[in-house]
Amino acid sequence: MESRFTETHQKLSEDGHESECDKIAHLLDLMIDGEASTEEQAYFNTHIEECVPCFESHQKQKLLKGLVSGHLKRVIVPESLALSIKARIQETV
Amino acid sequence: MSEQTGKQLSKEEKDARFEAELLPVLDPLYNFAYRLTLDEDDANDLVQETYLKAYRFFDYFEQGTNAKAWLFRILKNSFINEFRKKSKQPAKVDYSEVEGYYNSDDVEGEGGVASTTDMRTESVQDLIGDEVASALNALPVDFRTVIILCDLEGFTYEEMAKILDIPIGTVRSRLHRARNSLKEKLEKYAKSMGYNS
Ligand SMILES: [Zn+2]
Repeated sequence: MESRFTETHQKLSEDGHESECDKIAHLLDLMIDGEASTEEQAYFNTHIEECVPCFESHQKQKLLKGLVSGHLKRVIVPESLALSIKARIQETV
Repeated sequence: MSEQTGKQLSKEEKDARFEAELLPVLDPLYNFAYRLTLDEDDANDLVQETYLKAYRFFDYFEQGTNAKAWLFRILKNSFINEFRKKSKQPAKVDYSEVEGYYNSDDVEGEGGVASTTDMRTESVQDLIGDEVASALNALPVDFRTVIILCDLEGFTYEEMAKILDIPIGTVRSRLHRARNSLKEKLEKYAKSMGYNS
């Protein structure tokens, strides 16, 4: 009973712990993409210091971005491509 | 520099300027084209066409402005106007084959006897890369596009909005939805590899 109360309490108290986490969720992408303003960053960082679920979603979102930026292989440009672009441009008047 | 603005450059000068400012973008541009078309020949054609268009409009290009964003925008428009129509629903490309081919140099390296530990680490890296690639390729092209532009090429939201001709708010929401579907696809894989989701 007690623990149940705590859960509900956490969710609804201070008319809304919940909505604060929602706000944080909206800032996730801005944070990992370096697009958040100074105020947004401060707000975000303060919140995740004390909110484990938000801290974890931040970690996950960073991981996801890192998978693409760090693991997706780049394809090699065929050597002939630059040459044929130059050639076609020289033909163009 | 600015004294010359608007004056006719000789063709040689124009070509030299064009090559110096725009050819350095070739690598990211080709990679973008490849991720859109999932086909080497199409990527080749698309990139050539992009450069020819850029050359035609080069007089309108202001020196020192964002050449990369400008070229990406031209390429993306060409893709929508021409390639998208003709491209049959991209058949399931066998990624490992294509990428293995491109990377065959590293794998074969003369030394040959690279330590087994290194080899193992490398092939785990390859596995992750392949998995990310196939998850990404399974996304609708609009989703794939925003993820490439943002995470691989590091464009800002504002640049992406210009490249894609959409408001920044749309960039944000599309990116968010794109990441959610990518996450979904990768989570299945992560579970199979024993990571906690
Ligand atoms: Zn929270």
